[in-house]
Amino acid sequence: MAGLRRRGALLLFGLAALAPLVVRDAYFLDSLILILMWGALSAAWNVASGYAGQVSLGHAAFFGIGAYAAALVSARWGQSPWLGLLLGVALSIAAGAVIGYLSNRLRGPYFALSTIAFSQVLLIVASRWRTLTAGSEGIPVPFRPGFWTLGLSHVAWVYVALALALLYYGVEVYLERSRLGYRLAGVREDEDAAEALGIPTRRLKVLAVTLSAALTAVGGSLWAQYVGFVDPFYVFSIDLSIRFALNTIIGGTGTALGPFLGSILITSLETYLRATFSGVRTGFTGIYLIIYGAVLILVVRFLPEGLVGLARRARATPARAQA
Amino acid sequence: MDPARPLGPAEIEALAQLVVSTVLLGGIYALIAVGLTLIFGVMRVVNFAHGEFLMLGMYLAFWAFTLGGLDPYLVLPVSLALFFALGLVTYALVMRGVIAASHNVQIFTTVGLSVALQNVALVAWTGDFRYIRPWHSAVVLRLGTTAFNLSQVVAFALAVVLTLALFAFLRWTHTGRVMRATAQDRDAATLMGIDTDRVYRLTWAIGIAAVGAAGVLVAPLYSVYPTAGLQFVLLAYVVVVLGGLGDMVGALLGSLIVAGVEVVGSYVVGTAWKEVLYFLLFIAVLVFRPAGLFGQRGAETLGA
Amino acid sequence: MLRLEGVTKRFGGLTAVRAVSLEVAAGELVGIIGPNGAGKTTLFNVVAGYYRPDEGRVRLDGRDITGLAPHAICRLGLTRTFQLVKPFGNLSVLDNVTIGALTRLRNLRAARADAERVLETCGLAPYATARARALPIGLRKRLEVARALATRPRVLLLDEVMAGLNPAELAAMVELVRRVHAEGVTLLVIEHVMAAMMRLARRIVVLHHGELIADGPPAAVAADRRVVDAYLGEEFSLAEA
Repeated sequence: MAGLRRRGALLLFGLAALAPLVVRDAYFLDSLILILMWGALSAAWNVASGYAGQVSLGHAAFFGIGAYAAALVSARWGQSPWLGLLLGVALSIAAGAVIGYLSNRLRGPYFALSTIAFSQVLLIVASRWRTLTAGSEGIPVPFRPGFWTLGLSHVAWVYVALALALLYYGVEVYLERSRLGYRLAGVREDEDAAEALGIPTRRLKVLAVTLSAALTAVGGSLWAQYVGFVDPFYVFSIDLSIRFALNTIIGGTGTALGPFLGSILITSLETYLRATFSGVRTGFTGIYLIIYGAVLILVVRFLPEGLVGLARRARATPARAQA
Repeated sequence: MDPARPLGPAEIEALAQLVVSTVLLGGIYALIAVGLTLIFGVMRVVNFAHGEFLMLGMYLAFWAFTLGGLDPYLVLPVSLALFFALGLVTYALVMRGVIAASHNVQIFTTVGLSVALQNVALVAWTGDFRYIRPWHSAVVLRLGTTAFNLSQVVAFALAVVLTLALFAFLRWTHTGRVMRATAQDRDAATLMGIDTDRVYRLTWAIGIAAVGAAGVLVAPLYSVYPTAGLQFVLLAYVVVVLGGLGDMVGALLGSLIVAGVEVVGSYVVGTAWKEVLYFLLFIAVLVFRPAGLFGQRGAETLGA
Repeated sequence: MLRLEGVTKRFGGLTAVRAVSLEVAAGELVGIIGPNGAGKTTLFNVVAGYYRPDEGRVRLDGRDITGLAPHAICRLGLTRTFQLVKPFGNLSVLDNVTIGALTRLRNLRAARADAERVLETCGLAPYATARARALPIGLRKRLEVARALATRPRVLLLDEVMAGLNPAELAAMVELVRRVHAEGVTLLVIEHVMAAMMRLARRIVVLHHGELIADGPPAAVAADRRVVDAYLGEEFSLAEA
């Protein structure tokens, strides 16, 4: 099992690393960057929702915090977006602590609802607070070439996104192999039983959610710099939160490679469809979302372990340290 | 303002207007919320797609009006039947398989349904904001110094009629009692020979019919667009949580409270921030009184 | 080792546990019996930190543990099992027990090795890679005990681990409990299966309507009039045990 996973990861990330050396097409590189970024962001979601079992539908809150932090720091205050990234991390840790607190008061669907409410509050605040965030118009992020200002070429962005993806993949693998990860699995499976075994469930839940929040915010900051524009109705949207979940569920919740597999499938399908149908009626792009909705329903019911589960079954290997 | 001073005419007028607006709005929210709380109470499922059925109801009214010149209130009986049928279909295709599944599966099933329905609307009818303004939406009624819009009044009246009909059904018919029994104890119901699948199917269909009808009723009052359901569903959840899960009377009372917060909130801080108010209210209720102001069951534990 | 002083727990108008005082010496095996609803599991919940008592104190090895969180109490050396077993369903049997071992051990590999030893002791080694939720009830109960054992408790609270077992499984469980006791673990065992209880315990405590109505050796308890009226129904003959 570990061998299969390692080989899969090597293949995926290896290909991603080699691709820019071979292909120079901007559209292709853009897709690759987005696949890696969304994969990483979904992996961040996986930390809280897959590994710790705290299913959130409001992760866009953290993404938006990171995006706005980077955008404001670089566009408004003329500093390096890396500082904005750090600010985003700090703010998202605070937000994560709030959500973590909620996870200790609420379970299941009610926790999910509260995360939606939280992200919506941030959306409204960001879209209305003109003096701070330029309100509903959003913030364009200036492009200034250089590493310190994160003004990079497509090729460079591929490697930044790859580094992010590898880092987050590493975090997931750590969670699968470490004492912390095992105990989190206990929390996820049965909190009362975990408590009886000496696991501080409340503390661990807050830890997982806060870590997930910080990771998501970092992804948001980098994304904002790459895309160059922060629109509150997008960065705090429920659709975005659902997307992180969708990628992970299709790929395999609670598995390290799952979010990335899901991202490959979903993101490439989406960029392809968008490019193909951009000339046709604008409503057409909604079609892939209908498909995603249907796929989500089907996967969650018939293929609960996602693509990774499918691969495992194909090899008929029993799962180990089942997450 | 000195609280000891008796209210002057201007203030009483404003207060009266707020009260009337609250009641009118509350009636509509009640119709949306009772369907939701019924589904939760009997099936123990949090339906994230509830708002999308409302949105579809709004579109039904829109197209009936635009293409056929039909007034939404004429469409109402048809919409009840249509959405009931839609409920049966979605139950068979989507919900039946996940009734016994884990919470996560249920969450993402209804989330998937929500995404799919929103985008069906987007693809079919584009994202343009639509409006219908039948003759009654321009008619203003006056009672004393308060003013209200005829559409609001009729929507309120019809919503109340439907809600009362639902209450009567649950209270006095055999099927209604069976549904309430299942809500109280699923296992006992099965042991008593109750066909729970049939109960769930009916519950779901009724809940969908209620919210679809609510959509038809509110179409003259709001804009119609694919994500219109979103604001309503979150609001409906605030109502349901306030009133206690599965508590029908609580849903009514909760509707009034939420409507009141919205109306007063708009008056005091402006419409822009009122949404923040009711989200904060939502989180506050979930944290401090998850069983609701009137309910007994806890939202923090979702035992079947 | 474990001392309960006047522990009382109320739920609204119902007093589930009423002024229960109990002293358990290190290495003792004490059986707790009583009719359903007598407050036995509630007592465990209070001792293990899941409920805070309305009155009274709980002391572990002299230290006041009243109101501490369950995980803190476990770290101090007291572990409990659940009447309705709570396995980590999607994880393997080995992983279940490993998580228990991680309470004392920081190193994952060492914990896993420890877990394997515990599985061996409990006769679960052949099922190490099986998913916990695939196990039948008898093995689940054993897993529950194994997992608790992995935390190296000084005091172990077993809640009806014999219920629902067939005769062979029952004999095996009795053996297991005996072996655990022989290693010096202090045991509090709630049980309905009288035969097993009478065989294992040298001291039995009886709870009825939340009150402790008897405390002594099995023969004395079985003959106690109040116990017979409340619970046993007729004088329990030790010869049958």
